[in-house]
Amino acid sequence: MLNYTFKRLALSVAIVSLAMLLLFCMIYLIPGDPAAVALGPRATEAMREALRIKMGLDQPVWVQFWNFFTNAWMGDLGNEVLSERPVAAVVMEQLPFTLALIAGGITWSVALGIPLGCWAAVKRGSWADRVVGVLSVAVIAVPSFVVAIYALLIFAVTLRWLPAIGAGEAGDLGDQVTHLILPSLAVGLGWVGYIARMVRASMLEVLEAQHIRTARAFGLPDRMITYRYALTIAILPTITLLGVGIGQMLSSAVFAEIVFARPGVGKLVYDAILTRNYPLVTGAVLVTTVLFVLINLIADLLIGALDPRVRSRF
Amino acid sequence: MTDKILETGVTRRSFLAAAGAFGAASMAMPGMAVSQDGKVLTVRSYSDLQVLDPAFRLSLPEEDIIRAIFAPLVNPKAGDVWGWDALAVSSIEQLDDLTVAFTLKDNIGFTDGFGQMTAEDVKFSIERIVDPALESPYAGDWSALKEVEVKDKLSGLIHLKNNFVPLWTTTLPTTVSCVLSKKAMQELGDKKMTTQPVAQSGQYLLADWQPKQRTVLKRNPDWKHEPGGYDEIHIIPIEDPATAERGFEAGDLDYTWTSVGSLPRLKSNPPAGSVVLEKPSLAYVWLGINQDNEQLKDIRIRRAIQHAIDRSTVVDAAYFGAASVGNGIIAPGLPGSRDDVTYHYDPDKARALLAEAGATNLTVTLDILNQSERLTAAQVIQANLADVGITCEIKQNDSGTFWTLGSKDGDYFMNLQLVLSRFSMQPDPSWATVWFTPEQVGVWNWERFDNAEYKALHEEGLVENDPAKRDVIYKKMQSLMDESGCYVFLTHEVVGAIHRDDVSPGLKPNGESMLAKFKSA
Repeated sequence: MLNYTFKRLALSVAIVSLAMLLLFCMIYLIPGDPAAVALGPRATEAMREALRIKMGLDQPVWVQFWNFFTNAWMGDLGNEVLSERPVAAVVMEQLPFTLALIAGGITWSVALGIPLGCWAAVKRGSWADRVVGVLSVAVIAVPSFVVAIYALLIFAVTLRWLPAIGAGEAGDLGDQVTHLILPSLAVGLGWVGYIARMVRASMLEVLEAQHIRTARAFGLPDRMITYRYALTIAILPTITLLGVGIGQMLSSAVFAEIVFARPGVGKLVYDAILTRNYPLVTGAVLVTTVLFVLINLIADLLIGALDPRVRSRF
Repeated sequence: MTDKILETGVTRRSFLAAAGAFGAASMAMPGMAVSQDGKVLTVRSYSDLQVLDPAFRLSLPEEDIIRAIFAPLVNPKAGDVWGWDALAVSSIEQLDDLTVAFTLKDNIGFTDGFGQMTAEDVKFSIERIVDPALESPYAGDWSALKEVEVKDKLSGLIHLKNNFVPLWTTTLPTTVSCVLSKKAMQELGDKKMTTQPVAQSGQYLLADWQPKQRTVLKRNPDWKHEPGGYDEIHIIPIEDPATAERGFEAGDLDYTWTSVGSLPRLKSNPPAGSVVLEKPSLAYVWLGINQDNEQLKDIRIRRAIQHAIDRSTVVDAAYFGAASVGNGIIAPGLPGSRDDVTYHYDPDKARALLAEAGATNLTVTLDILNQSERLTAAQVIQANLADVGITCEIKQNDSGTFWTLGSKDGDYFMNLQLVLSRFSMQPDPSWATVWFTPEQVGVWNWERFDNAEYKALHEEGLVENDPAKRDVIYKKMQSLMDESGCYVFLTHEVVGAIHRDDVSPGLKPNGESMLAKFKSA
């Protein structure tokens, strides 16, 4: 297990380093002058030049990259261009909102996807199985921003059951949860379909296994067989899927954060790209990359811990 | 087992139903929790706070907050006519072309123990803007300033180097007349005032700022004059106007700007208990033609493009009939505003000019910002140009790229051919004409229009007091722009806004908000 853990950690470091290189290249290739965008139309050329120097844009590209790379690994993400606030602090202010959104999305997808998948597997070939199949494909096919807009129009604008914008009052958990319902539904609904299909497929495989037949032969109740003996095994591929899914949800979060005017890292990056606020773009993307790699590392280690066959392959 | 709970007669089914109803009711609360009896006003701004220093402000929403928390000498007047109201001063008047006398109100204080506002603070606040060491982008607003002379504790004289007509329209009623505490700013030293204000003095105080979530202004308890209309103003940063409109319709906002495209829908079917406003904008939208581009150097080709474009169709399509055609860079109501242009939609004339210039199979690129109304306008222009035999390729750019396209520091400015642009301005014609002077070639003058007469007229307009003469000057300047073939003027747009019917918004004539002037209706 130690060897497995070490190899996964080394791979994660390599992935983050590669992501940093790609990120830097992409930012370097984007057209547009960050100093001109940041300072606006009334700034003089001297002011723009001063800002370029302050941002280090007058340095050779490789120097800029080396500074970015080494500082990032030391935990120094620099300061925001105009407000001069530390980028790490700005990102960390927004990160909890995105994490809450993703956690909400996972909650929706797990709470609905797993029971639906189990139900479809147990009722294999029945109308219930077919309905779940069609529904799963339907929710996968509908983009998250469409779900977001329709959910908002129905539950916030028409029915006025839920708020349309914002993240709720700081310190008021109930208000924050209320503000989370619609955005997290938009982010998580597509994953209900993925998880339902994955759980169904895994369950069908496991339900044919010898130990399940034995359990049935002993006359154990169906509910116990399904949830205690079959699901605990069938759930393993879903954990891997969720690891990947979190990355997808991070990108869906951008739409949800814009449509619901929620704070969050996705919207922060979007705004920062439009204003060519490079320190903020790099800092925020780096944090989300590390987060994604970390989550996948945890998922891998969890799978490794639960399934010795995975460990033996490394 | 019985379904009765504790033998009270309440069944599990009815308990769950009641709990569900309670939950639904509590979820409905957010929709009803806004604007409680005029105590809290919740409005949308299109950007979040970044800089609160009047010398370095970045956006209109910041200006609005700055004016509310740092008392300016004068404020723009709310209503349909441009003007100003005194705020920090008890009197202010122009003694002659070069001198303005002011006297501060006697009891305006700074927070954080920085004492009373004095004429020395006024001198410091104004002179720091023009101090070259500060490098304020707004130094030009006070370009005519010679010095501020302190007469006594509360009064002083603003001395100008030359007559400066925009002083009362675009200098004093803006944030460059906000008074900061000299002592507080000196204590701040080299540190910039960004999102943490020091020594506030306005009708409101910045009570809370949650990045990307909300800014909360609270009434200044020490403000002794006309108070702001609400106990608290919550400003929610929402960039997308459609999101803001849905927020308003859901009851989460009391006031928001709307997109022009939404105006017809909102006007024909306004949400219950709301008022939809349509205000004339000062902005101007035009199709620019780069006269230094190899393919467009021949003025006959540029004039052909002017005649090829059906401006009214472009504007109707892009703004859903909500905006009307504009005839220049100066909006109606200001000196120099025109009723017509010197070229008209005439495809036959356009074809003849192209033939005369020997331009066959001409292909041009039209750069636009990636916004829906710009794309629609560009598509109509594309069809108009195709009609006279010009192939037009539309290139959409994000804002970060778009605003550097014509810059002489970049590598695209000579390839730039057609560009659909929109500038906003302050209520003085010089604010529109300044961007097209020869000095601005390759800065903001992307058409590279270079005309010495235009430049001389611009200088003349800045010192001419007579509105009738200014009107002639600025109309002549726009005629020169027409004659260059570099411009097809499209519209001044409109500004849309929507508010609850129990809110009386404080708006400038062009619809820009002044939060401190919002009141309960």
